[in-house]
Amino acid sequence: MTEVLGDFIRALRAADIRVSTSESIDAGRVVGIVGLDDRRTLKDALAQVLAKSEDEKTAFGETFDSFFAFDQFKSRPPAANENDNDASEAGEADGGEGQEGEQAESGGMPSPGSGGMSGERQGEGEPGSSPDLVSLLERGDQAALQMALAEGARQAQLNRIRLFTQRGMFTRRIMENMGLDGLNEEVERRETSGNMPGAERLRAARDELREQVRDYVEKQLEIFTANSGRQLREEVLAQVRLSNIDRSDMKIMRELVRKMAKRLIALHSRRKKVARRGQLDVRRTIRANIEFDGLLFHTIWKKTKVDRPKVMAVCDVSGSVAQVARFLLMFLYSLQEVLPAVRSFAFSGHLGETTELFEREKLEEALVEVLRDFGGGSTDYGQALMDFEEIALDDIDHRTTILILGDARSNYGDPRGDILKKIHARARRVIWLNPEPQTMWNSGDSEMRRLQPYCDKAVTCASLKDLERVVSELLRSAV
Amino acid sequence: MAQACAPCATLRLNGNRTSGKGCSAPLVVQLNKVEEKSAVAEIEAVRKGFESRGYICNAHIATSLFLAERLQKPLLIEGPPGVGKTELAKATAELVGKPLIRLQCYEGLDEAKALYEWKYGKQLLYTQVLKEKLGDLMSGAQGLKESMTRLHDFDDTFFSEEFLEPRPLLKALWQPGGAVLLIDEIDKSDDEFEAFLLELLSDYQISVPELGTIKARTTPIVFLTSNNTREIGDALKRRCLHLYIPFPDTELEQRIIRSRVPEVEEHLRKQLVAFVQGLRTLDLKKLPAVSETIDWARTLVLLHARELDADLVRNTLNVLLKFQDDIDNVDGEINALVTKAVQAG
Repeated sequence: MTEVLGDFIRALRAADIRVSTSESIDAGRVVGIVGLDDRRTLKDALAQVLAKSEDEKTAFGETFDSFFAFDQFKSRPPAANENDNDASEAGEADGGEGQEGEQAESGGMPSPGSGGMSGERQGEGEPGSSPDLVSLLERGDQAALQMALAEGARQAQLNRIRLFTQRGMFTRRIMENMGLDGLNEEVERRETSGNMPGAERLRAARDELREQVRDYVEKQLEIFTANSGRQLREEVLAQVRLSNIDRSDMKIMRELVRKMAKRLIALHSRRKKVARRGQLDVRRTIRANIEFDGLLFHTIWKKTKVDRPKVMAVCDVSGSVAQVARFLLMFLYSLQEVLPAVRSFAFSGHLGETTELFEREKLEEALVEVLRDFGGGSTDYGQALMDFEEIALDDIDHRTTILILGDARSNYGDPRGDILKKIHARARRVIWLNPEPQTMWNSGDSEMRRLQPYCDKAVTCASLKDLERVVSELLRSAV
Repeated sequence: MAQACAPCATLRLNGNRTSGKGCSAPLVVQLNKVEEKSAVAEIEAVRKGFESRGYICNAHIATSLFLAERLQKPLLIEGPPGVGKTELAKATAELVGKPLIRLQCYEGLDEAKALYEWKYGKQLLYTQVLKEKLGDLMSGAQGLKESMTRLHDFDDTFFSEEFLEPRPLLKALWQPGGAVLLIDEIDKSDDEFEAFLLELLSDYQISVPELGTIKARTTPIVFLTSNNTREIGDALKRRCLHLYIPFPDTELEQRIIRSRVPEVEEHLRKQLVAFVQGLRTLDLKKLPAVSETIDWARTLVLLHARELDADLVRNTLNVLLKFQDDIDNVDGEINALVTKAVQAG
């Protein structure tokens, strides 16, 4: 069992569940206590020691079910029974009887008695190198076949399978371990001895078995490598330029944003306090030292609570920047728990507030609406900043962080740096996110030169990783 | 009675694996008898035991308790508020007949409040009272050095267990015969406190600098609950079994209501459970939990309601939903939900 358990834990790890060594040991103890009789209890019990969060429990359930799925062979009709004249090759006398019997049953399944008999006789009659597989196939003993398959898979170390290109190799190895050579010999022997229908039937059974083994291998491949492909993909997607992302990857991207946001929330969910060393909190110090008769043993310093930043995100939603804007907004609104007061604005030609829209509607629909309403015009940073000044300047205070996302390409219009200066004077921080690499700044109609002086920070932000870095920084350094 | 006692004995026997050897012969016999039973039967016995104490649970919860008991591991319980996490600990304490010691976590909880504290007042008082005695003792001493040596002879007097004020964690370790320790809402405590718990949870011992390591007299049954306001650290999770209690399904919730509010008639019970289950499918700030369903059932009993109708629901909705926004949002759906619930009943 330990080996199976080890495989199972490997499968769990492949499914994104973190299992430590001590937890594996616990799992072993649990199996010892609970036993293997009751599937449900075993599942419940293992879930307690191996999966330790809500998500992991779900993943655990799925992995458990697919890993311990034993019904693969049951769904198939027994190989030998497919061919009607089952008993014929066992002996002429039996053959006639079997066929009669079948005809009596109007061509249905052969009676279990005759099938079993013929199989047994076959096994006795041929003590060859691998009579097992031949007889098993002829008999259609699915349980025994399943066990032979599992044993073959174990010998072939199927649990080491990593790549889909290994499927053929493993299928062949398992077949060999199950006694493919003996089977082939038997087929040949029958052909030479003129038992053509027998050989034909066995060949068909062999082909079907190969199918089954391939199925099995594929299933195992899926169990053991379920996520490694996706993990790689996620890693790549996190670093690729957002504007280059294919539509088909959107689902993974959304999932990825959600994951990253969750991580950030976990990191920043507690309101931090910073001690101001040097300023004694007299009241609390006295209270803490009452027990020492008023002698001050413990000193308690004044603390400042770190405020959550108020964030205003101003996003250029025209053309190439739109994609990045989409993910920035996705990020900010996934962080509602730690960033409760996000206001968002979108612009290309003119600017409008989209906060309410995002509150009212689901993220995806809201994004579509934003792109429809504000995207598409020719970009005018001057106009956008003027609009922004009118709508929101009064609400900016020393706790507000302004995130501006755009390539600063203003179609040769005045970018109105003076307004940004005003904003900068009032806000806590102004951070400019530019999807273009820094070497492209100030080329052509890019006006970064005239806007950058009024930003506390201007960074390139093209991939999901960049975004995560920016948002994390936003949460961390908010004092 | 016999039914109720079997699990009781199971749990208590297993829980009493003390470091000392206090096992009398009849207990051993009983223990062997219990060991022979299959795990499934034992889990079922635990479940029955809970049921007899008015805590209705499914096999899943019973399994986890059985395992926590057998592996002697703390049990971390997560789930939405009001599904009976704390209640499980209370029911367990009742079932095994051990005192429940509860530690409510909050931000700023530290060792002095969770573990132990020196009784400063008592120490001071004693020094005052013993001043003369000390004078006598010191009277014959020649010079400082000799006085110091004499003092050293009883140096630990003031830092002995006598002057130690046990807080919940220490109490649980010291409790003769063991205890059920409930560390409630661990997610509310600070990271440092979480780290500090690790020693207790893995080895059932704690270190007091002045006294050394204190081991549990009898291994307590430890429960930790969390509402998931923040992620619990991996180190802590690794040391615990993890149980997630979701909202109960219709059948289980009905049984819970039947056990807790037996006055409710059957078809009203079906209706109200169906209504609450329907409510949980909506998008709400805070979904009603089991405790709210129980409160609501009690409310309906008080109002002598026999049948759910839209007006009744509207008037009593504030028992189920705790946010005005939620109440407003649900208002439009009430008629449909009630119709569905009445059909279910």
